[in-house]
Amino acid sequence: MNKITCAFISVLQHSNKSYGSATLLGRQLSYKSDLSLDKIYPNARLQLYTPPPPPPGSGDKFNGYIPMDKLEISYSRSSGPGGQHVNTSNTKVDVRFKLSEAHWIPEKTREKLLKALSNKLNKEGYYFIKSDLTRSQQMNLADALEKLRSLIRAQELDEPTEPSEETVEKLRRRQEKAARERLQLKRSRSQTKRDRQA
Amino acid sequence: MAHLRESTDKALKLLRTLPRVQIGNLRPNPNSKQNDKRGRAQHGGDKHGAGNKGSGQRQNFMRLGYETGNQPFYLRFPYEPYYKGHHMRREYPPISMLQLQVLIDTNRIDISQPIDIATLCNSGLMTLKPAELQYGFQLTDEGLDNFKAKINIEVQHASEAVIAAVERNGGVIRTAYYDPRSLHILSNPKKWFEKGVPIPLRMLPPQDAVEYYTDARNRGYLANPEEISKERLVLAQKYGYELPRIEDDPNYEMLTAAKDPRQLFHGLEPGWLINLVDKTIVKLKTT
Repeated sequence: MNKITCAFISVLQHSNKSYGSATLLGRQLSYKSDLSLDKIYPNARLQLYTPPPPPPGSGDKFNGYIPMDKLEISYSRSSGPGGQHVNTSNTKVDVRFKLSEAHWIPEKTREKLLKALSNKLNKEGYYFIKSDLTRSQQMNLADALEKLRSLIRAQELDEPTEPSEETVEKLRRRQEKAARERLQLKRSRSQTKRDRQA
Repeated sequence: MAHLRESTDKALKLLRTLPRVQIGNLRPNPNSKQNDKRGRAQHGGDKHGAGNKGSGQRQNFMRLGYETGNQPFYLRFPYEPYYKGHHMRREYPPISMLQLQVLIDTNRIDISQPIDIATLCNSGLMTLKPAELQYGFQLTDEGLDNFKAKINIEVQHASEAVIAAVERNGGVIRTAYYDPRSLHILSNPKKWFEKGVPIPLRMLPPQDAVEYYTDARNRGYLANPEEISKERLVLAQKYGYELPRIEDDPNYEMLTAAKDPRQLFHGLEPGWLINLVDKTIVKLKTT
């Protein structure tokens, strides 16, 4: 690099409120050692970005993504012992959403949920989950969401299928053997009694 | 070190004047050779040093450590490894989220710049003692519900809840390793710069720590940045907050400023020599 370019780059670096870096033509001019991240991960996106929400899963499976703006979250005080901390901090979390309008749940699962939770919805059709498991509001919110996700996933489990032919056959043979043994025992007891008679 | 140099010089001077090493000039170290011959005549003979009767003269000695029946000392105590590996146990003095919030609110820490060990030690309220096996600070979860500051912080350990608390406020948290020499430098940078030593390279973490610092879930400084971006979304979903779009933040550059794995200070490269008196930096000449 010639002297002019060197001077230009050094001026640029000093003019920036730099944290050790400046950008020229989109390239970072910060210190890059033999172990810098672009050498360890050559094909990765090195700048932090916000990834878009994942697409709704293949078919009818819930992919675990819940859009936070569709839930109504409110905080209140928890019950139980704890003195000043429990009296003054809002650690109980209440998560509500209208089940029939929850388009982030796949259709089939939503219908199953409506049937399963029909007695638990309130008059407006809202389902709510409360949590006051821990001392921390953040952890209680995580707990409430965990409960919600496991509820949705429980509806997606396969129904119990009928037992296979082999199992049915096995059970039948077991029952027959048990009957045979019971009868044998009964007969031998009967014979003992007969032998005692005159 | 000086005394070693002097004794080496003395030895070399001696060597110049001493005669050549020959078989006739050699002698074994005193008391290294024992005479194998059996003693005879008045002083070595008669009982030959074995005394009168008993197990001594009959050469029927008890085994070493035997205490005539009671449990010997070397068998009394089972394996009690209280201090095994204690010299290798790393400590991370804690800073709670509450403390951090208080420091920010009382202007002891400037959040318009990235926060690292040097920032925390320069505030005068935190001290690090690398000599006592303290390898940096950890961020604890006390007071994380009320944490409200957008910061770019680099600590040595942080739990998942703490990472979530920092990221929900739009901040960035990283965990990074510093070897003991680097910690010593960072715990009092001014004092170290006055020595006039060029900035050294930061060393890589030891084997048992590599897994921690290469994991995106811990926001390790050696982890894949793309995975970190994805893990931010995962954590946001787990803890129930909308992940703030960090690219749209006016302070994006400051928040994503990260040190190179070999770098100690933001903006200063290893190999540079800082002159505080003349306020200059001496760099290596690159051809």
